[in-house]
Parts: sequence; C-alpha cells; structure tokens
Amino acid sequence: MALILAQDLAKSYGKVRAVDGLNLTLDEGTITGLIGPNGAGKTTTIKIVLGLLKPDRGRVEVFGQEPWDNPKIRTFIGVVHEKAFFPSHQKTLDYLERACRIFGMPESRGLEVLKLVNLHEGRDRSIKALSAGMLQKFAIAHALIQSPKLVIADEMTANLDPEARSALLDLILQLHKDENVTFLLSSHILPELSRVCDSVAIINQGKVWAFGKLTELYEKYAAGIIRISTDKPEELAAEIMKLPYVEKLEKDIRGISVRVQRESEERLYEDAPKLARRVAAKVQGIETGSASLEELYMLVVGASKGG
Amino acid sequence: MQERKGRPFLEVFASALHEDYRFPILELFAFLYALGTFVFASFVSVSAAGELIAYSLTASLMIFPLFTFIILIFKNVAYGFGSDIEKGIIQTFLSYPLKRRWVLSAKLLSALGVALLLFLSIQISAMYVLAPDVVGPYLGTVILTYVANLSYPLLLSAIILFLTLILRRGSIALVVGIVLYFALGIVSSLASFIAFATQSPLALQVISVFSPNVVLGMYYQVFGVGPGFPSASIWTPSFTEALLYLGASYVIVAAVFATAYIYFSRRFSL
Repeated sequence: MALILAQDLAKSYGKVRAVDGLNLTLDEGTITGLIGPNGAGKTTTIKIVLGLLKPDRGRVEVFGQEPWDNPKIRTFIGVVHEKAFFPSHQKTLDYLERACRIFGMPESRGLEVLKLVNLHEGRDRSIKALSAGMLQKFAIAHALIQSPKLVIADEMTANLDPEARSALLDLILQLHKDENVTFLLSSHILPELSRVCDSVAIINQGKVWAFGKLTELYEKYAAGIIRISTDKPEELAAEIMKLPYVEKLEKDIRGISVRVQRESEERLYEDAPKLARRVAAKVQGIETGSASLEELYMLVVGASKGG
Repeated sequence: MQERKGRPFLEVFASALHEDYRFPILELFAFLYALGTFVFASFVSVSAAGELIAYSLTASLMIFPLFTFIILIFKNVAYGFGSDIEKGIIQTFLSYPLKRRWVLSAKLLSALGVALLLFLSIQISAMYVLAPDVVGPYLGTVILTYVANLSYPLLLSAIILFLTLILRRGSIALVVGIVLYFALGIVSSLASFIAFATQSPLALQVISVFSPNVVLGMYYQVFGVGPGFPSASIWTPSFTEALLYLGASYVIVAAVFATAYIYFSRRFSL
C-alpha cells in the first residue's frame, strides 16, 4: 500500500520553482531517504505532503487522502520539522502529556517517549531551557507520541551529537523492525541515510531524478564506476579524462570516481597507475562498484544538471 | 480514521492559555482591570438614577479598563499569534488532529475570549457592587454600552489577526493596530468638526459604522455636546437607528474575522 502518493507536484515561490513535476510513491514499511542539494525542493515537498502548503499543480495523497486541513490522517503521522518549536514556557513532560491527551494516548506515553530519546532526565525542564540538540530530541519524542505508522522527518539528526545520532538511527531501525513504522527522512548526512534507508529519492531542481531501492540504484547508476584513491586527484583526473573510454568523472579530495565504457574496466586498471606515475601521484587503491551513497548522489545530481 | 474534536481543541486552548497568561500577565492585567474599574467608579456620582446615568456610569467606568483590555488583546493576538507563526509553533499545532479553524478558534478563545471575560466580569461585578440601584433597572443600557464600546477594539483585533496571518509578522500588525486605535480619537473629533462645518451628520454616521459608541452617545445626547461641538443638534438618532449602526459595526467585525478564518483555513501556507 502506498502511504504517500505524489503526482506531478509543482510549487513556485514567485519566480522560483521549488517543486516542478515531482513524482513520489512511498510504500508501507519502507525507510526512504529524501536527498538533494540545498534548494532542491525537499522541505517544500515535505510541507506539501504534510498539508502545510498547497501545491500549484498536481495531486498528493497521504493514506489515500488529501492532506490539506485533514485531521483524520494526522493521528498516523509523526512529524519532525527542520526547525522544531513548541510553546516555550511549558515543561517538557507536561507538554508531551498534553500531546498524549490530544492523540488519545495514555499520559504515561509521554515519559516513555522521553526515555526513548534519552531525555527523561530533563522531564521537568522548561522547553525554552532546552539546548538545540535537546530540543531536537524533544521534537523526535513528540513525533512518536501517537505511535505513528508514518514518520516524516526533515533533517532529523541536525544538532545531535554523534552518540545521539547513532542512538536515533538505531531507534529508527528498531521501530521499523518491531512496529513496521514507515519513514521518510530528509537529510544532508548521507552516510546516516545509507545506514538506515532501504530506498532513496534523489531530488534536484524540484524533480525526483532517481528513486528506488538502494541496491537497484547502485546497479543502475554506479555500475562501471571505478574508484581510484590518490593523493593528487586534480592532476590524475586531468590525465584520466583524456582517456577515450572514460564516460564520466567525479573528483573529491580523496580520489576520483570514473565511469568507463562497458568492458573497459581492465584498461583503466592498467592505465591509471601509468598516468599516476606521469603526474607523480600515489595510487592508494583501485576498486570497482564500491560507490557510496554520496557518490551515487553526486552522479545523479550531476546527471540532473546535464553533467 | 476518526477525527477527534473535543479534546484536541481543549488541549490547544489550554496550551494557548498557558502561554498567553503565564505568570504574572494574568495577575497584572486582572489587577489593572480592577484598579481602573474601582478607581474610576469612586469618581462617579451614583445618587441619581436613570437610563442616561446608567450609560454615563458604564462609559466612564470602562475608560481605563478598556484601554487595558486593548493592550492585552493586542499583545495576545499580534505578539502571541504572530510569534507562533514566526517561530513555527503553528506547525506543531497543525500536526494535531484538529481542523485549522479549530486551531484558530482555540488560539482566539484564549487571546480574546478570556481577556473579554475577565474585562466584563470585573466591570459588571463592580457595577453591581457600587451602583446596584442604577445598574439593576437599566441592565439593558449597561449591556448596550459595553457592546457599543467593544465593537471598535474587536474590529481592531480582527484586523490585527488578519494582518498577522497575511504578513506573518505580529510586530507590523501591532503597529497598525495601535495607529488605528489612536486614529479613531482624531477621526471622531474631525467628524464632529466636519458635521458642524457642513451642518450634515454624514461624517458622524460614517464613523458610527465603525465605532457605534458615537451613535449611542448621540442618542443619549452626551457626545459632541458643548460650545465647540454642537453636533448633537445636527444629528439626534433614534434608538432603532442606534441599534442599526451597532448591528452594522458587528457585521463588519464578523466579516473581517470570517475573512481571517477563511484565509487561515484555505490559503495560509507555511
């Protein structure tokens, strides 16, 4: 069953097209990452899905219903906004107990979710006294109050320390496994997404450019990719780019990802060390098909820009 | 999937109350209402009785408390609601199983309804204590005077609410509200001058549509009477006429509130 169905969504802010013909289907029981550069349209998409923003064009259904001003579906959706704010003069546990009453849950659930995010010791703190990281944890606890079937989170791990991030990722996996909670997670921290997500939607310029299971996307976009780790990626990239069988090349500070024509991998394995010697670069390793989510993202975003 | 109506509304209302009237705001404003009501009451002669006295007593009693009431609702509507929008707290409320109109109603009930209740309860209690002989027989006049005097502050509240929603900034709406509030005094004086100069009640009638205490004052012959303001001789409205102006003013108030509700329910995006 598709929990979220977005078809041909479009939304502009003045002359800026934030979302432009976006299609997205989120199936029950999946953990999907929504990734893309700043201004790609992720937050706008999430706001449309949550019924906070009306699209200029297109159709969106959440649990089979239109989300705008639709209280019926909200019982099933937990939300973590990019910037979480709550009535600031109330105490954390008091406010969560209020949220429990709103969603028809027992008040004890308030402390339960605070424990889940390891914030139970701050139960008597006023919300305004929480640090940015604690506020983020509080927002996550608030999103879990009603035991939602779907959690939509925009930059969920922002402001969290590494330990808290890791614990949160474990919590996501646990909720997914034990309660079959579906997640739509927008984040810039790709290694985290690759740890928990089984599928991703890569969004840029308001469109979804790649969507599917991670394994399928790696197969589709990262097959024929060879990763060369080197100390001089700039110089080596300039040489490798001249090779006639090289289709595409991305470089970063640690090395180069090269896509070559079919059955040309062996040739690159032979040529790369020779070219490295020519530019006095050290080759620390050459691997095939080991693209990370970050590299996959760069490939797709690069393709979306016509690169 | 079932929509939960009662409890979410009450909880959002309780949360808004907690924010709008946190210590010592409620205590401070209750004190100011009571102080204004009783201090002014002590200067009013209650020896005479009659409809005119009931009107004069009620109108004079509410001068300072009404100003306090206006400050409180401006703070709640412009600052409170505006900061909910600016900070994103409204997103949290809109994630609850509650229609948008009920979220707005809960916020308004706290911002405006409770302030109004506080204002009226202290005022009417004081009147019953201080001048039972005047108020008892003329309760209708007392209520009418309150209704007439509250119309303009309520109109300003509606305008402030609408501007806060449109501009997403309470501060600008607050400035507009304050300017409009003080502008009424100037415009009322101008209307009297114009009425006197032109020997036509049109200016007073126009201002009465927005501020019906003018028409009520004219009806009781206390507004614009004096050497420089002989407008009472220009316009002596009947009681029915006064009620019509009162009704028209509340239609305008209701229309602005309805516009704000429709905008929030159908168009307000975050």
